Amino acid sequence: MHEYSLAVAIIDQVKAIVKQHKANRVKKITVSAGPYEMVIPDLLYEAYDIIVDELDKFRGSKLELIMKPAEITCLNCDYKGEPSKEKDEEFAFNFKCSKCDSRDTHLNMQYLTIETVDLEIPE
Amino acid sequence: MAKEKKIVVKKQAYIANDEIADQIRVEMEEKNKLFFNIMGSIGAGKTLLLERIAEKLSSKYRIFVINGDVATTIDADRIAKQGATTVQINTGGGCHLTAKLILSELDKIDIDSYDIFFAENVGNLICPSSWDIGAQLNIVVVSITEGEYVIKKHPIIFKGADIAIINKCDIEGSDFDSKVLREDATKIKSGMKVICTSAKTGLGVDELINTLGIKFP
Repeated sequence: MHEYSLAVAIIDQVKAIVKQHKANRVKKITVSAGPYEMVIPDLLYEAYDIIVDELDKFRGSKLELIMKPAEITCLNCDYKGEPSKEKDEEFAFNFKCSKCDSRDTHLNMQYLTIETVDLEIPE
Repeated sequence: MAKEKKIVVKKQAYIANDEIADQIRVEMEEKNKLFFNIMGSIGAGKTLLLERIAEKLSSKYRIFVINGDVATTIDADRIAKQGATTVQINTGGGCHLTAKLILSELDKIDIDSYDIFFAENVGNLICPSSWDIGAQLNIVVVSITEGEYVIKKHPIIFKGADIAIINKCDIEGSDFDSKVLREDATKIKSGMKVICTSAKTGLGVDELINTLGIKFP
């Protein structure tokens, strides 16, 4: 259950943004992740809600997670992009190149990213 | 009166951790030190492998091991008996080590007093894969007793690993062939270095030490 650590990492970064913009409070944080980053959305939301309940400037704010498509690099033909939809029945995440059909591919991790922060700031 | 403002950030949540990890990696490389991250399930044999490594190398090298566990100092105490200096991080409920945790321990010592550093991560095959701790090589230990599907079931940690160790090869029997695990590791990550070991008998430990680029005493 590393979602708690992730929620803390998100909030720590946003705290600095709140300070920088002298914001009254945070309204919403939008984050994104690839499908294989081992982020369980419900656990992340739950951890976020527990933590921000103790933080005046974050209490009541919403966390939104956008899931991005997988991206691979083909080690055979250098294709970079979404993998073929054809799954490997035996190996999860053993993606097939959309261009040359090779399964010698590398999954590009699309780490959990803070996309935007909606703040309430003084006029 | 207040107004709303949308700030575009586009920064990884892990950025604070990764910056510290890079700082650790750079310092280790500048000082010509080796730092390895050992990951694997509970009971895979990580600690016994580190005991074997310490036993073989501690006459020549000054070894520092950071053990990560939810509780107790059992692992650190075991490895210390083989001549390494050890420190135990108790993560409480935490399921992985972070670069910040590693740095906090390195800050307490003089890095120049040691030659080789190991971190024995918290035992599981999921969470440690997401957190860079600043090691030069990431090593995953699995064992025969975890069954023939253990690598297939945990592909992400192998995607990010440099070396896969299949431990407990001494108990390989007629109904289990470590070739399955070896093939799975190389299918999941092309070019993966796979080493069969038995921390119990010492099988493969010399090959592992060679692979880590460490010269024998």
